[in-house]
Amino acid sequence: MALVTTTEKLPVATRSGADQPRRGFRWRRALWVGGFLLPAVALIVVLLVVPFLVTAYRSLFDDNGVSSRFIGLANYVALFTDPDFGRSLLNTVFWVIGTLVLPVLLGLLIAVLTNSVRWGSVARTVVVIPYALSGSATALLWTFLLQSDGAINQTLASIGLGGLQQEWLLHWPLNTVVMILATTWQATGASMILFLVGLQTIPPETLEAAKLDGATGFRLFWSIIVPQLRPMTIVVVGMSIVNSLKTFDIVWLLTRGGPGTASETLALTMYRETFTLSRYGYGAAVSVVLTIVVLAASWLYLRRQATQR
Amino acid sequence: MASRIVRNVLVVLVSVVWLVPTWLVVVNAFTPSAQYTGSPRWWFASADIATNIRTAFSTAGVGQGMLNTLIYAALGAAIAVLISALAGFAVTVMPVKRPAIWFWGIYIGTVLPLQTFLSPLFTGYAKTGLYDTQYGMLLIYVAMTIPFAFFVNRNFLMTVPRELAEAAQLDGANWLRMFVRVHLPLARSALLATFVFQFTWIWNDLLFGITLSLSPNVRPVMATLADLSGSYGTAGPPVILAGALVASIPTVLLFFVFQRFFVNSLRLTS
Repeated sequence: MALVTTTEKLPVATRSGADQPRRGFRWRRALWVGGFLLPAVALIVVLLVVPFLVTAYRSLFDDNGVSSRFIGLANYVALFTDPDFGRSLLNTVFWVIGTLVLPVLLGLLIAVLTNSVRWGSVARTVVVIPYALSGSATALLWTFLLQSDGAINQTLASIGLGGLQQEWLLHWPLNTVVMILATTWQATGASMILFLVGLQTIPPETLEAAKLDGATGFRLFWSIIVPQLRPMTIVVVGMSIVNSLKTFDIVWLLTRGGPGTASETLALTMYRETFTLSRYGYGAAVSVVLTIVVLAASWLYLRRQATQR
Repeated sequence: MASRIVRNVLVVLVSVVWLVPTWLVVVNAFTPSAQYTGSPRWWFASADIATNIRTAFSTAGVGQGMLNTLIYAALGAAIAVLISALAGFAVTVMPVKRPAIWFWGIYIGTVLPLQTFLSPLFTGYAKTGLYDTQYGMLLIYVAMTIPFAFFVNRNFLMTVPRELAEAAQLDGANWLRMFVRVHLPLARSALLATFVFQFTWIWNDLLFGITLSLSPNVRPVMATLADLSGSYGTAGPPVILAGALVASIPTVLLFFVFQRFFVNSLRLTS
């Protein structure tokens, strides 16, 4: 109670009027809520939202870093008539679907499976290690595996399957598919851990009751575990949508978006326009479009969940 | 019985598939630079990884970088988890008007593409004197890691029965006491998980490291590792792998240590 009395000092005249105590109460409640919410909201607005708005403003200019001229929405018009932009958008959609299917589903399956075998913790560690590895090591590793005289092609040749050898990173859409697999290797550990946290919230009694009713194996998984995991599934799927739409690192490190611009995602297009071609206004326009796409996708997925309790 | 065998086989299969690339990283970190041919090895070329590690540490400031990053990752993740738990508590338990607005106000932090605000952020940091300071790095890492931690903690707190909060209120607990006594202990595994995730995120960040820092006593480890492979780095891939392996030890250890908190005693079958 000590803390309530310290925050009560603000509305001094609370006890005079008839409706005053009520207002004092409301004030105090607003203070409490503000105190809990303010640090998070303030940091995000100042450090993330404001810089983004600066970029959004810049998208209205023809800006090459030296001189800039107001051109309204011309950058956006140019964007939507650019065939490279269409390809980039298509790749981004591939990434969203691919990472929704693979790391999310595999993470769920591995989380449940490793819970039911004795040495599951060893397997979990093996799956999590790639997530903990740094980006520079990962990039080198996949170059090792995928380059034309790399480990995968060597192995295929040595077991007599030389006919299956590919230039993995040089052809679209194979390069995008291969990079999605590489991401799956790295990201599955993260979704697995989130599902493990979710599994803990399932009351043991629920499982016992289901088992008494004869639910086992797949049935237990599908009709008891999956519905109970819903709050964590929302987190994993929500993050997967956002992160896949923003895919940058692995593509930049493995193909630089190439050959040409074939494997570019929206984030790479934006980066190339801004930092390689110094078309700051145009790059800013791409980033605004990307943000709108990510926001719209998240909203479509989360709008019901965000208000539900 | 049959399903037991199937499960075991599946888990073995998954482990092997995941282990093969990891194996390549480790083996090739042992290759002496002179013997490196450009194509990867499947077996150790020597037993000596120390030379590669020493090269990595002396060519680039990997040691100092790790120390800097340890501060950012430990402190930054802890602050972010605390702030996000407060906000998550506010939107799930406290009587906030329009919780959806606050949810999106914080969640939007995950939506914005990183590359978008790098250049305005750099300008802002340069103007306010935060550029190339440890405070500046810590600040952006905290801000970057709040939204995801908030999302996880909020969704976990939604599974806490409302009756608990009402009971605590009847006992005369104020919000802070309720938060500390009731909800924080219940959300322990979610808080730990978000801490581990955000620690790892900060630890592995490269983009902000190379954009917002310059001096050796500020620059995080991934930025120093990038110097190894950068234009003026003469070290070969084995040295980079050795450096990256050493730099990954803390995060791997963290996952290993915290693993038992994620899975306590829950047995789904038999």
